Amino acid sequence: MLGLLKKILDKYRENFDEGGKLERLYPIYEATDTILFSTNEVTENGPHIRDSIDTKRVMILVVMSLLPLYVFGAMNIGFQNSIAIGLERSNWENFWFGFSKILPIIIATFTAGAFWELLFAVVRKHPVSEGFLVTCALIPLTMPAGIPLWQIVVATTFGIVIGKEIFGGVGMNIFNPALMARVFIFFTYPTKISGDKVWVLGPDGYSGATALSIPAAELNQDALTLLNNFDQFDYSWWNMFWGWIPGSIGETNKFLIIIGALFLAYIKIINWRVIFGSILGLVGTALLTNLVAPFSSNSMFTIPPHFHLVMGSFLFGTAFMATEPVTGCHTNQGRWIYGILFGSLTVIIRAINPAYPEGVMLSILFVNAFAALIDWFVIQANIKRRQARYAQ
Amino acid sequence: MADYNLVKGHDIKIAGVPKNTVVEGETPEFVALKPSEFRGIKPKLMVQEGDQVKIGTPLFHDKTNPEITWPSPGSGKIMEIKYGPRRVIEKIVVKLSDEESSEYFSSYNPQEINNLSRKKIVSALLKGSIFPFIRQRPYNKVPDPDVIPRDIFISGWNSGPLAVNLDLALRRRLPQFQAGVDILNKLTDGEVHLSYNENTVSDTLLNVRGVRAHTFNGPHPAGNVGIQIHHVSPINLNDLVWVVNAQDVVRIGNFFLMGKLDTTLFVTVGGPSVLNPIHIKSRLGSKIEYLLKDNLSENENRIISGDVLTGTKSSLEDFIEFYHSTISVIPNESSREFLGMLRPGSSSSRYSLTNAFIGSRQKNYSFNTLKNGSERYILPINAWENVLPMDIIPNALYRAIYAKDIEEMEQLGIIECDEEDFALCSFACPSKIDVGGMIRQGLDLMEEEG
Repeated sequence: MLGLLKKILDKYRENFDEGGKLERLYPIYEATDTILFSTNEVTENGPHIRDSIDTKRVMILVVMSLLPLYVFGAMNIGFQNSIAIGLERSNWENFWFGFSKILPIIIATFTAGAFWELLFAVVRKHPVSEGFLVTCALIPLTMPAGIPLWQIVVATTFGIVIGKEIFGGVGMNIFNPALMARVFIFFTYPTKISGDKVWVLGPDGYSGATALSIPAAELNQDALTLLNNFDQFDYSWWNMFWGWIPGSIGETNKFLIIIGALFLAYIKIINWRVIFGSILGLVGTALLTNLVAPFSSNSMFTIPPHFHLVMGSFLFGTAFMATEPVTGCHTNQGRWIYGILFGSLTVIIRAINPAYPEGVMLSILFVNAFAALIDWFVIQANIKRRQARYAQ
Repeated sequence: MADYNLVKGHDIKIAGVPKNTVVEGETPEFVALKPSEFRGIKPKLMVQEGDQVKIGTPLFHDKTNPEITWPSPGSGKIMEIKYGPRRVIEKIVVKLSDEESSEYFSSYNPQEINNLSRKKIVSALLKGSIFPFIRQRPYNKVPDPDVIPRDIFISGWNSGPLAVNLDLALRRRLPQFQAGVDILNKLTDGEVHLSYNENTVSDTLLNVRGVRAHTFNGPHPAGNVGIQIHHVSPINLNDLVWVVNAQDVVRIGNFFLMGKLDTTLFVTVGGPSVLNPIHIKSRLGSKIEYLLKDNLSENENRIISGDVLTGTKSSLEDFIEFYHSTISVIPNESSREFLGMLRPGSSSSRYSLTNAFIGSRQKNYSFNTLKNGSERYILPINAWENVLPMDIIPNALYRAIYAKDIEEMEQLGIIECDEEDFALCSFACPSKIDVGGMIRQGLDLMEEEG
C-alpha cells in the first residue's frame, strides 16, 4: 500500500520536474510528496549531519498544542448554549453540539487558507510553507462560534494574503496573519465579533456581557463587586480560569492554554522571555491603574492584576500569538521589552480606551509593528559595544 | 575555575567516539597535497609528473606571493597531478619510495633558537615550506609573511565531534612544542595565547613556558580557536592574528630542532560506520584508504575528511586534508518515512537540540547524511543563538550578508567570525539553512571589497 503510494508519486514526479508539462505546479507536488513521505534530501558540504527538527515538525507541534482548546471550546459552546435555552445536557452532548458548530468554521478556514497558500506558492515559485497550518488552526480559535462562514473565508483570505503573502511568505511577514484575519472582521463586521450578543449561541436577541465589558460599562464602581453581583454568568476567578464563560472558541480555558504554553516553551519553540515579559508588563501596569483608581471614575482601573490575567484573551494571545517567533522580536533582550510592552499595552487599551474593553489583539499587532524597531536598538547596542572596543 | 566558562554550544553525542589509544598506522602507498583546499591562493606548480621529490620538497607556490611554498608530504615519485574543472589543480599525488629521504635545512639547539631574529625565522619557515602551517584570522588563510600579527593563538583543546585528544598527540613532545612556541613568540610583537580545557589538558601544555595560558570550559565550539580569540582578545578592525594547530606547533618546533619536516600526524577515525574508532599515528596527506582499512561497516558510507560539522566530502581514494586530523564516516541514508511529520518520534530514533521528541536521549546517536527536512525561511526560535558562544547576533549578521551590506556586516562583527564556528548553527537550524556557508560568503565579499 505504502509502496504503491510511493510508486504513484515517483511516477508522476517527472511531470512536475523542470521541463515537465506541469512544472508550474511543482510546489503542490512537493508539498504532497513531503507531507506523505519525509524528505530524503541529504547534506552536501558544511555540516554533514543535521538535527532532526524541521519546520514541518515545529508547525505540527504547535497545531497539536492547540487541539485541546478545540475540544474544550466545543464543549463550552454547547454548555453556554444549554444555559441560554435553558436545557440540561451532558458534557458529551455539549461537545457534539459545539463540534457541529465549529467544524464548518475549521473547514472553511483551512480550505481558504490552503487555496491561497498553494496559489501563491505556484505563482511566486516558493515552497508551500507549513506555517499556514498554524495560521489556519489559530483563526477559528479567535472567533465567536456564530461567525458567518463567508466572513471566515474573507478574513482568512485577508490574513494569508495581506498579512503574509504580500511580504513574501512565512518568515517575512510583519504582522501575525491569524490576528490580521481577526482584526479584519473586527473592523469590517464589528457586529459579528464585538458587543454582548455574539459570544453565546442562544435564541435571537440573547445577550450576555463578557467579564471585561461589565466594569467597562459602569462608572465609579469596584470591578470585583460588579463581577460578584453579576448573576447571569459565574465570573469568579476560578470559573474564568477553567473557562466556562462566554468568549471566542479557544480563549476561555486558561488551564489548557497554560499547559499548551508550557509544552511549547519546553520544546523550545516559543520563548519564555516573551511570556514572562508579558505577564510582568500586565501585572505592573494593572497595579499602576489600581493606584490611580481612587482618583478616577473609570471602573476598569479597579481590576486587580490577577483578574486581568484570566479575563479576556490575554493568556491565549500571550501563549500563541505574541510568542510567534517570526513577527516578534528576534533578539533575547528585545523579547523582554517586546513582552513587557505587550502586557502594558493590553491593560492600557482595556482600561483607558472606551471603545474596546479588550485590548489583546490590538496590542499584539501594535507590538508586532514595533518588534523590528526594538531589535534595531538591540543590534545598535551590539554595534556600539564593538565600536567602543575598536576605539581603544 | 576556568578563566572562561562558556554556556552556549552543544557537544553532539555521535556514535563511534575514538578510543583513547593510539595505534601505529600502516605506511600508505600514496600521499598527496591538495592545492584546492587553500583559500585565496593561486597555485603554481614547481614539479611535474614523474619528478622525484623528497619530504619537504616544495611542490607548488602561490603566484601572488611566490616565496610561500607548500611541502611534499612524502618522498618518492610524483604519480599524478590531477586537475579539476577549469584547470584547477586538485591534488598532487606522491607515490612513496621504500627508502624515504628528507630535504635538510639548518638546525638549531634551543639556545640558538632564542637568539634568532624574526627575519631569519620567517625566511627559514618560507625556505623549508613550513609557513603554510600558519593561518591568519580573519579569513582563515595562509598569511602574508611580511605582516606582523598582533597575537598568535593556539588551541590546545579539540572540542569538536570525534576530534583528536591532543593529550595523546602531544605526550612526550614538550621540547618540540616548546621550540615551536619560542619560534612563534619571535613572530609577533604581542603574545602567544594557549587555551586548553582543564579536564583534557596534556602535561606538555601545562609545562610549556612563554605562553599566556587560558582555560576554557563548556560545550563545543569552546575549543575552536575562533571562539577563544573572541573571548580572550577579540579581533578589532584592521587587526590580524595568526593561529596554528597544536600538532603543527610541534611540527614547527621540530623543523628548527631537526632541520626537516616532521610528517607525523595523529589522526582519529570515528563515526557510526567505523567498526573500531581509534587514534592512529599516521602522516600528513595520507590516502584515506590506509586509515580505514578493514575498519568500515558494510553499508553505503560517506567518508569525510575533517569532523562531521566542518569537514569535506571525501572518499577512500582521496587524501586527508592539510589542516585536518579527523576522518569521520557516517552512513549514507536515503530512506523516506511515511507521514514522518506526524509520527510522534522518540529521541532514541531522532536527535534534536529542541525537546521536540519524547523520551530519554540515547547515549550516542548514529547520525546519517539525511537533512531531516527541506530548506525554508528563517524560523527565529533561537536555534542559532543557543549554540553560538559569541557576542554576535547571528540573525542580523545573516541578513546583512544576504543583503550584501558590507558596512553592516563589518559593524556586526563579521571579521571575528569564521565558518567553522557557525557550523553548529547550521546543524541546529530547523529551516536547514547553511549558516556557516553564508558566513563564508560574507567573508569572501569582505575580502574582495575591503
